[in-house]
Amino acid sequence: MKRSFKPALLSLLIGTGAVLSACGGQGGVAENSGAGVPDEAVEIEFWTFWGSEQRRPVIEEIIADFNNMQDEIHVRHVYQPWGDIWTKSLAAVAAGNPPDVVIQDINTVRQRADANQAMNLQEFIDQEEEEVQERFYPHLWEAVVHEEDAYALPFNTDTQVLFYNKDLYEEAGLDPNSPPSTWDELEEYAKALDERDGDHWETIGFYPLWNLGPDIWALNADNGNTWFDEDGNVTIHTPEKVEALEWVVEWQERIGRDTINRYEAEFGDGMADPFISGLVAMRGQNINYYSSLKDNAGELNFGVAPLPEKESGSGHYSWGGGFVAEIPYGAENPEASWEFINYLTDQAPQEYWGLNGFDVMANMEANEALAEHPDLSDEGRMVYDLAHMNLDVTVLAPVPLDAPDYHSLLNPNIDEIMLGKVSPEEGLSQAQEAVEDLVEQNQQ
Amino acid sequence: MGGKIKVKKKTTMSMRRRESLWGLLFISPFIIGFTVFLLGPMLFSLIGSFTNYNITSRMDFIGFRNYEQMFTADRLFWTSLYNTLYYVAFIVPLTAVGAILMAVLLNQKIKGIKAFRTIFYLPAVLSGVAVYILWMQLLSPSTGLINTVLSWFQIQGPAWLFDPDWTKPALVIMRLWSIGGTMLLYLATLQNVPGQLYESAELDGANAFQRFWHITLPMITPIVFFDVVTTTIGAFQIFQEAYVMTESGTGGPANSLLFYNLHMWNKAFVAFDMGYAMAMSWILFIIILILTIINLKLAPRWVHYEGGQR
Repeated sequence: MKRSFKPALLSLLIGTGAVLSACGGQGGVAENSGAGVPDEAVEIEFWTFWGSEQRRPVIEEIIADFNNMQDEIHVRHVYQPWGDIWTKSLAAVAAGNPPDVVIQDINTVRQRADANQAMNLQEFIDQEEEEVQERFYPHLWEAVVHEEDAYALPFNTDTQVLFYNKDLYEEAGLDPNSPPSTWDELEEYAKALDERDGDHWETIGFYPLWNLGPDIWALNADNGNTWFDEDGNVTIHTPEKVEALEWVVEWQERIGRDTINRYEAEFGDGMADPFISGLVAMRGQNINYYSSLKDNAGELNFGVAPLPEKESGSGHYSWGGGFVAEIPYGAENPEASWEFINYLTDQAPQEYWGLNGFDVMANMEANEALAEHPDLSDEGRMVYDLAHMNLDVTVLAPVPLDAPDYHSLLNPNIDEIMLGKVSPEEGLSQAQEAVEDLVEQNQQ
Repeated sequence: MGGKIKVKKKTTMSMRRRESLWGLLFISPFIIGFTVFLLGPMLFSLIGSFTNYNITSRMDFIGFRNYEQMFTADRLFWTSLYNTLYYVAFIVPLTAVGAILMAVLLNQKIKGIKAFRTIFYLPAVLSGVAVYILWMQLLSPSTGLINTVLSWFQIQGPAWLFDPDWTKPALVIMRLWSIGGTMLLYLATLQNVPGQLYESAELDGANAFQRFWHITLPMITPIVFFDVVTTTIGAFQIFQEAYVMTESGTGGPANSLLFYNLHMWNKAFVAFDMGYAMAMSWILFIIILILTIINLKLAPRWVHYEGGQR
């Protein structure tokens, strides 16, 4: 008995060890990009959620270029699914074993900077000869700066614009070359485009909440101010935002909640794209929608314009987001990681990404170059041109540090407004109070 | 003589020691797993609940402030608790009644009963995100199967997941669809109810309902008890459904699907307020503990064990 004890214990331990290591090995699906690792090169791990057929080859090509142009740093691309990447990287930072570079959400950079999840990049930026921040659109740069230091480099971005069907414009007797510029014009155009037969609609001119959130109309009306002002004060309940929501509710009443619900459910079921099919004549949406139109719209004759402004001169404010390249706090080779993200946001790779994925880039010169790029169609160049201009009036809504989860208090109130249970005045005033409470709790 | 006894005693001791060592060895995977993966994290979260822990940069002791905030300042705590209690209050009795009825029906001795049993058990095999997506299609207000069937009877179905008054009932219905697992437990128990009890009751003139009420039901109460306790605990932990079926876990229209665990998750991973989330998890633990103790205390009044109380 005594003899068999040790081998038994040993085999048990080995067995447990094997099980544990098998569990540990399940992490990200790693794949090498480019040629083999050169000897003595620093290897850095780069996490993205770009695993699609469209995105993956482009980012891997960019990485391979970087790996081939020098032999000190070798970047290894690790794809993490969209739903996992940020919680995984948070856990990795907490465990002290983070990846070297992660693609993150631009709106939460400050939140991570404040919580020591991202590395302060200012030191590296100061060492560069060129002014790194000059590359980027100012509103994007602002979002990555926390207490005067930068914590990430913007990679790509987007902006919301108005797509409209030129053929339907002509049928309705509207000029296809002058899209609506104000809210009043938008409404006028939409009514001219509407075509209904009882409950059945041939064409719905426009509905403001299809593909856009009420946030966008609120900030468009309120001089480009989001739910918080620059000092972090809550600006949910302002006269302009109340008006904006009243305006949205009017649309809902005119078209009818049942109609809207019915069509929304159908869109959700993956019915043919309602803009392409001609059911919806104008649609506010992220400018990246162009890439889907390019592939699927066939003969559809469409135009793109900035979002209409509330009234002439109030400003065509739009809303954007985007992603950044970030070095997690505690990453092992920050210098090498910096080299890589510096390269990643440089004009050439940015242009390559834009050209192959149709995406609005964070690097200004890349977008300008794309607006004149010989490999793009006239339409494509026009869209980049519009994107570049529209980014001037595009606002980001970075998560406020004192109320990072304010959405869960604001959204239910907006839902109730849209369900007709409270008036915009009441709803926004309740939301204002609730979010102010949250800010107060977090400031304690 | 004395020496001999001593020797004998020594061998028993070492024998016993060896046996207990072996015993420990065999349960060590559990003990190690329990300590490392359960007890450790639990203690950590208990300590963390008294701090402003944010996972990466701070963990300062702040006394009872998290708990205080929960009960006095956090509106969504009450919303999420209400939503969760609503769900539990419907799920627990409905699954029990539904599963018992189904088990009784499937306990009949008719032709093809095995096929029926398989069919009704089948949904329990499926689980996870795929089922939720399937149900999102079934519940679609205009094109979904459920509202289409209702419209055959001239009933205009609700907008289900889009209408805050109907979101929770929709999840209850979805949960009832997969009670096959519970049904199986009841079915197994029903088949253990001794046949002579029914025979003698029949001789005494008891009708089908009386036989069910006075024989079947008391005989299966231990399983009902088990079912009630486990379903209660499970229902309090509802999370996935709401996370998947509402846009990126936002809690659905007007926060009607903001369940306790979803709110806790948002606090932990959106606001990085992990200390607060840990405090929330302890309150949930206490709520479930109290309900389970009440269940255990009430059990002797209605749970019937064959061969007396256990």
